[in-house]
Amino acid sequence: MTVLSLFSLPLVTLILSLWSSSAFASSDYHEHLLLHPLPQSSLLASFNFRSNTSKQSFDQQHFRYLPRALGQILQHAHTKELHLRFTTGRWDAESWGPRPWNGSKEGGTGVELWAWIDARGDEEAFAKWITLTQSLSGLFCASLNFVDSTRTTRPVVSFEPAGDHSAADQLHLLHGTLPGEVVCTENLTPFLKLLPCKGKAGISSLFDGHKLFDAAWQSMSVDIRPVCSADGECVVQIEQTVDMVLDIDRSKRSRSNPIPRPVPNEQLVCDTSKPYNSDDTCYPLEKTNDKAWSLTEIFGRSLNGVCPLTDFDGSSDQSVCLRVPHERGVFISEEADEIKKDDGFTRCFKLAPSAPFDLSIPQQPVNTEVPLDEPVLHAERTIVGHGQERGGMRIIFGNPCNTSAVDFIYFESLPWFLRPYIHTLHATITGHDGVLREVPASEIVKETYYRPAIDRERGTQLELALSVPAASTVTLTYDFEKAILRYTEYPPDANRGFNVAPAVIRILDTAHNAPIYIRSTSLLLQLPTPDFSMPYNVIILTSTVIALAFGTIFNILVRRIVTLDEAAALGAQTLKGRVLGKFVALRDRLRGKDTKVE
Amino acid sequence: MALKSAIRNLRNNPHFLFARLPNLLSFICVVVGVVWLLLLPLNEYSRQTYISENALLPGQVHAYFTGSEQNIFRGYKGELEGLLNDGQARGGQKDEAEVTAAVSDKLQSILQAAGLKIATQKYEYTSAGITHRGENTYAIIHAPRGDATEAIVLVAPWITADDKLNLNGVTLALTLARYFKRWSLWSKDIIFLITPDSKTGTQAWIDAYHDTHPASVQPLPLKSGALQGALVIEYPLDHRFQSLHIVYDGVNGQLPNLDLFNTAVAIAGGQMGIGADLQEMWGHDDSYEHRLQTMFRGMTKQGLGYATGAHSSFMPYHIDAITLQTKGEGWEDEMALGRTIESLCRSLNNLLEHLHQSFFFYLLMQSNRFVSIGTYLPSAMLIAGNFTIMAIALWMRTGYYPESKPSAKHKNEKASTEEKAKTNSIAERHLALPLSLVLGLHLLGLVPLWVFNNIFHQYFTITTYIFVVVDIILPLLLAAILSNGLGLSKPIIPQQYHLIKSFSLLLLGLSLSTLATLNFSLSFMIGLLCTPLSFVARLPGSAPFRLATSSLGLVLLKLVSPPTVLLGICWYMGISVEAVLTQAAFGWDVWGVWTQVVVWCVWWPAWLIGCVLLGSSMF
Repeated sequence: MTVLSLFSLPLVTLILSLWSSSAFASSDYHEHLLLHPLPQSSLLASFNFRSNTSKQSFDQQHFRYLPRALGQILQHAHTKELHLRFTTGRWDAESWGPRPWNGSKEGGTGVELWAWIDARGDEEAFAKWITLTQSLSGLFCASLNFVDSTRTTRPVVSFEPAGDHSAADQLHLLHGTLPGEVVCTENLTPFLKLLPCKGKAGISSLFDGHKLFDAAWQSMSVDIRPVCSADGECVVQIEQTVDMVLDIDRSKRSRSNPIPRPVPNEQLVCDTSKPYNSDDTCYPLEKTNDKAWSLTEIFGRSLNGVCPLTDFDGSSDQSVCLRVPHERGVFISEEADEIKKDDGFTRCFKLAPSAPFDLSIPQQPVNTEVPLDEPVLHAERTIVGHGQERGGMRIIFGNPCNTSAVDFIYFESLPWFLRPYIHTLHATITGHDGVLREVPASEIVKETYYRPAIDRERGTQLELALSVPAASTVTLTYDFEKAILRYTEYPPDANRGFNVAPAVIRILDTAHNAPIYIRSTSLLLQLPTPDFSMPYNVIILTSTVIALAFGTIFNILVRRIVTLDEAAALGAQTLKGRVLGKFVALRDRLRGKDTKVE
Repeated sequence: MALKSAIRNLRNNPHFLFARLPNLLSFICVVVGVVWLLLLPLNEYSRQTYISENALLPGQVHAYFTGSEQNIFRGYKGELEGLLNDGQARGGQKDEAEVTAAVSDKLQSILQAAGLKIATQKYEYTSAGITHRGENTYAIIHAPRGDATEAIVLVAPWITADDKLNLNGVTLALTLARYFKRWSLWSKDIIFLITPDSKTGTQAWIDAYHDTHPASVQPLPLKSGALQGALVIEYPLDHRFQSLHIVYDGVNGQLPNLDLFNTAVAIAGGQMGIGADLQEMWGHDDSYEHRLQTMFRGMTKQGLGYATGAHSSFMPYHIDAITLQTKGEGWEDEMALGRTIESLCRSLNNLLEHLHQSFFFYLLMQSNRFVSIGTYLPSAMLIAGNFTIMAIALWMRTGYYPESKPSAKHKNEKASTEEKAKTNSIAERHLALPLSLVLGLHLLGLVPLWVFNNIFHQYFTITTYIFVVVDIILPLLLAAILSNGLGLSKPIIPQQYHLIKSFSLLLLGLSLSTLATLNFSLSFMIGLLCTPLSFVARLPGSAPFRLATSSLGLVLLKLVSPPTVLLGICWYMGISVEAVLTQAAFGWDVWGVWTQVVVWCVWWPAWLIGCVLLGSSMF
């Protein structure tokens, strides 16, 4: 496959092919950056770092590009394949099109981790999994140690090993998510330290925590897997990616003055054709997509040459690529070379080894747009209903394709305190005619893998194999009940609600070899929360006081008050009264004797 | 010792214990209950408001909504005005629907150009034969870095709660949408909702947001996360304004968290220097009278339970919401209102948890003074308690001695020894008739409830007058049947009158004390109107005396019957009965108001039974 033909394919294929080429060198390192301006003045920056270590040297703990810290953790926990994701924000598929890497390099909001662990049984696998999460928690400064049994699932059909594993291994897939984890610079620093050039040179020198975490969407991933060639030679491959969608306007603001103050009057871009347009009245004209920007402006720093550890072969010396129409002018640093690909939209840059690199795009009206593919499937998941006792989940799948149905796996791991009623699973389908039809869920759901929750031990795991017909929208709904927690189980911010992990959708597309992954947004579940504060205490106290007062008065009113003689007469009638009377008489006699003695 | 002997004396005087004391206690309860309420505005009983949720930090940020944003505001306003005037100028030529569609398209194009996600929702409600339809337009700013778990709503209805065109409010919402989009600090999505009116639009939208909407309302194509708060912008004036009027009452007397109100007051007053008013009390001088008046206005709105603005519909879903209305003629312009809203949004954006710290049950008497539930609740509880005390006393009385004697007065003259003997004899209670009568009459309340919520609005006035007549005939008819045993095997005995009253008052006391914790004001108002029912009973004495007294009593009781009270209020306020009942039916159908249930299934049956008891003295 030549390099030129390679770039004539669409974006996705481009990234995938880059990723698979030259995978068999025994020990090498590659890095690549793709910049892709998206509609609504956004810019997708997709960083990829990949290195190999031969299986032999990995086993002998002879690490070169593979970080020792990570390698030893994997060996200790008998982990054969590892996928770790840190994600914030949401991918706006409506404006930005399909996801980078077909969604295979992103996770749900927060932290997501799944790994294939070699172990003899389920218990041993889980013990090793806990070892793994605890160690990674320390390495990445993330709360991965909170991935306990309630947050761990064992998906059946949603994930497949990406590496080539030996048949001797007894692999167990374990999957855990932390939807509430806030990804921040403390996670970026250890991530950068795993890179051979550690953010000092090459494309990783562009990483700035302020810009990275100001992105509208960003995802960091670490994937480690064994890859074997046909002749049985195996390498351990580590691949790190950082994808982010930056808002160009926002990123261009200087750090000293980041506040988007109203612009001065004379800088307003007004529609002068309006009859009311004047000095103090302005109907604004929104700027179009062809905004001017440069690497230095967007990332706040320039690219420091090339990482000297990079292997220069084939395409990998062109480590920075840009997807804009060829008609658009791009200014680059003098030492770098520009290579235009013949697909009309991609150009790559050959960087000078030690000189800083910058590229800038001036504002320029363009006629052609970089085409964006339509996403294969739209998915949206929301909680419906209100109240603190029960609710419902509603998942909408839209198939925009007019010709073929979409088959996919829908995977949901729910916390134990959300108790779904699977018998209430209903499906409605809206066809191209826009008519809503109620269909039995079995018509849409082909297979179900369901593992019910056990209170405080494990969450619900639900995997559905679904099929959405062409040009239709399928709505799945089910009801759930909210459990009441013990009062010590509430977190300090109980009234915020509890995060429910994003659902994972794996599209089984025959056209692509690699599956496409989509993740829904995470949800916030309001649980019945005791009022840990005052007003209800006041009600309770007032009610108690009223009850006490009422009780006392009622008691005084209703109680029969009689003289001692009457009481004796009344009491003497019953057996208990007689026995008691005898006893009292006896006591009186004894007491009477005592007083006499005195 | 003295107490003991007093109690002994009490027991030896059963007439006092069972007949006099309950009356006295009930009366004291009512008086104390009313006096308690009147004491609340005093400094000793009310409290200064304070911000309980530290995360809100009201007014701690600088609001930047100034400068050239005003040019944009004028630009958007010119654009919308042009479209509206275009429709007006051509009058008959251009259909109203066409103008609405053009305006809706313009809103969408402006919001879309600003980079928001837009969607629309059509809805239709039918109530009392009137169809309300419209189309909501809304747009979402996705929180940068956010993942759609939480959201704030900004609502701008085209028609305000006072039926005025809210052009400035809608324009301000559009300008703010464009301005907010630039900020990267939002932790929650911000939803801009433009509704056609203040009554139906938000209700349709919020119902659909939680998927509880009726079939006539379209589902929402675009959603965000859990809603944390909502602000409604109303600026119907065409000049600068003087102060902000904060409306906070929700449907069924539910209130937003006091922190939200306090934040609005703190930002308007403290940061922006705009005065904040409440309950239409302009020129509140913080005197006792004004405080009391403010509190009564709040209680009236709470008691009637209707939606006072576009914000009210949010409350049943536990979403705190307020309306900001501009009032008076002064120096503040739309940018000041915009900065207030910006600052409020920043405060709400700071929230880590759903608003829960401060009070949900309170009575406000000034923008910075309130009483909390612990202080005011005893007032309604005492009034509800008076019925319970009476009911228990009657129950005990029916059990202790048979009322063979014709009058209580007569009893009193008897020798105490004889009395004592009587009290010890235990009477059997005949429960079947009283129980079935009381339950039957309460179920009968469902008839007017159904009628007044389902007939067409033209018939409301006539139906009310029919009901006034029914209310005269029905108690007398029932009383006649009961006293003469028409169709019954045997006539009713006096004990059963007491039991009827006891059960009726027991139910009333039970309902009202429960209601007091949910809707204090409604419970208080109904309790006060029902107070005479504690003291009416079958009269003793000679036939002419009974006839005269009971007729007079019936006329007086008639004055506090549900239809008469309705007619009286309509006459006093100068509004038509039809308008009130149409609004009530609308509240029942659309907002889910249950004031009617309390009126027809709690108040009306209790009143009816009171009348039957009094009416029975005629026969």
